[in-house]
Amino acid sequence: MIQEINIALRNLNRQKKRSFLLAGAIAFGIMIVTLINGFSGSFVENVNENFSHLMAGHIFIEGVEKTTTGRNYYFISDDKILIDTIESLDLPLQFITKRSEFSGNLVYNGKTLQQNIVGADWSKENYFSERMMILDGSFDNMSEPQAIILSKEVADRLSLGIGDRMLVRMKTYTGQQNLGEFVLAAIIADPGLIGSMSAYANLDYVNQLLNLQTGEYKIMGLYLSSMKPIDTAADTLYKALEGKVQLFTRDSDDEETNFVEAMMQQGKEEEWEGLRYRLYTLNDILSEVQDLVNVLDTASLVILLVLFVIIMVGITNTFRMVMLERVREIGTIRALGVQKKGVLRLFLFEALFVGLLGFTAGLASAGIIMAVLHQINWGMDTPIFILLKNGHMTFKLLPWQVIMNLLVVTALTLLAAWSPARKAANLEPAHALRVQN
Amino acid sequence: MRKIATVLILLMVMSVALTAAEPDFQEMLRKIDDMGNFADSDFYAEYTLTSQKPGEPVAVTKAQMFRRDRNEQFVFIILEPQEDSGKGYLKVDDNVWIYDPQSRAFNHSSLKEEIQNTDTKNSDLTSSSLAEDYTVTRSAEGTLGAFPVWILELTARNNEVSYAKIIIWVHKASSLILKEEDYSVSNRLLRTVAYSSYMKVGDKFLPGVITQVDNVAIGERTIVQMANPSVAVIPNDRFTKSFLERASN
Repeated sequence: MIQEINIALRNLNRQKKRSFLLAGAIAFGIMIVTLINGFSGSFVENVNENFSHLMAGHIFIEGVEKTTTGRNYYFISDDKILIDTIESLDLPLQFITKRSEFSGNLVYNGKTLQQNIVGADWSKENYFSERMMILDGSFDNMSEPQAIILSKEVADRLSLGIGDRMLVRMKTYTGQQNLGEFVLAAIIADPGLIGSMSAYANLDYVNQLLNLQTGEYKIMGLYLSSMKPIDTAADTLYKALEGKVQLFTRDSDDEETNFVEAMMQQGKEEEWEGLRYRLYTLNDILSEVQDLVNVLDTASLVILLVLFVIIMVGITNTFRMVMLERVREIGTIRALGVQKKGVLRLFLFEALFVGLLGFTAGLASAGIIMAVLHQINWGMDTPIFILLKNGHMTFKLLPWQVIMNLLVVTALTLLAAWSPARKAANLEPAHALRVQN
Repeated sequence: MRKIATVLILLMVMSVALTAAEPDFQEMLRKIDDMGNFADSDFYAEYTLTSQKPGEPVAVTKAQMFRRDRNEQFVFIILEPQEDSGKGYLKVDDNVWIYDPQSRAFNHSSLKEEIQNTDTKNSDLTSSSLAEDYTVTRSAEGTLGAFPVWILELTARNNEVSYAKIIIWVHKASSLILKEEDYSVSNRLLRTVAYSSYMKVGDKFLPGVITQVDNVAIGERTIVQMANPSVAVIPNDRFTKSFLERASN
């Protein structure tokens, strides 16, 4: 066996150019697939992390009150029970955020633009202000109660400058018309996708516009120290809150509907008195992102298979040529006593080594490309910000994906070489020795 | 002493006389509501909403309204523009639905929603409930053009109506509203509405032309014109989701 391995390696060495070209084709396929796998691996993590910053939490609690006329009002009034329960648990909690938001029309100088406006207590959300890329103005201007931070796109569309005052027409939490006034404190780089839909203001003023009472707000966010324990922490909190407050069931009747949709449905269909709480997580909201990753993974596997079908044809043809070139050589080694299986193994070892060489080279080149791409700072104002980590592309390769790619490459390479190897093994030694090159 | 007593008596008599001269404004609101509501019949009309916004072409929306006020039901279905044809609003029980013929889906809406991004709300064209929703907190006499009017400030009784405060100019002789100002919760003027003509429909009076001026987005206004009103009986199936679905085909 070792002798066969040595001969196979020597044969590959004899035809360096051909071996490298074959391995290069395999390496290219592996590189592409590894890059896709690596990107999709970090995709969920980055999107979740960016969303957790935008939404100020990993676990969220909303209060819903049903009126006698069947309308649902969303607010949290007395959060003492919630806070006490959260603090009594051993959750990996970093901090709690309290936010209110509304969608309204910003009006300035005859121009109107619909905008989602988030109110936060900035004295307690320092981390968020540090993530904002301020292009003009200053975060210090937020000390003005009616200050607002807008993205550059929104400020440009309304032709707003720092210090300009604009009107906002919106509805209170009960749906009444209200009119407020904001002063532009800072302009931030558009953080892309969801970020472009949000402007940031002071919680107290947003609550005032929503006609909420002192101490009331709309959403509580729990910011955990890590993304991993979100679901476990949510389950623990849910169980701890059961019996203390009214809760929407974190369950859905069918697999198609996620918790959040199911809770919305409960809100429409069921009756209750007082405040009832919805508890949901970032994972519940972003379950569709995971679906997208699954699609990416499937697509990468399909790409791998298509690439390797093409490469297999090349390997089969090359090994057929190799066999024809070595007919006399095969006759000689057969005459020297090497069995059919030995010749078969010889060819298959050659294919295996080409495959392994290609796989290693592909993995290494993907690693180099990933490292280079990771070094590039795409900035906070890129449209793909939501997919990046602090402006950098990140890649995460799961071991099972690498092993699976290796197995696929090995199996397909051996399969491609199988037919020429069998033909070589079945050559009659006497006939083979008579063949003229 | 006798002089003081005389003055006091005079003041008392004057205040009684003044009180007697002031009508019961809550009753006036009920009368206004009754003027525009059809408790004993159905109501049908065609509406044209002409919306003007600075820098944008004039947008015209034509629609049909079917109302059955005794059951608090209505159907408002858009005929024009072509791209929105078939879109409609339906009120059944306490629910207001909006139907989108493109997606063939019904979604929850409300009486407070604007129609077709105009200054007109669903509630502007449905039955009136001023007496139920508002209390008269201030009143004054005045004139609007040549018309003697009562100027009434109404404050919302609950926080579910669109406007926290409205001021109406009510024609003294007919109790018809001639002008209305709508205010935000923060007490800022949002919209001014002029009722420039009324049409007699059965034994009721409804505004024939309403001009709604946006006081926030300066230059924006919507003119609502009513045509072909009728109090004939409307088939029951009009007030159903299936009617909106059929009508959009």
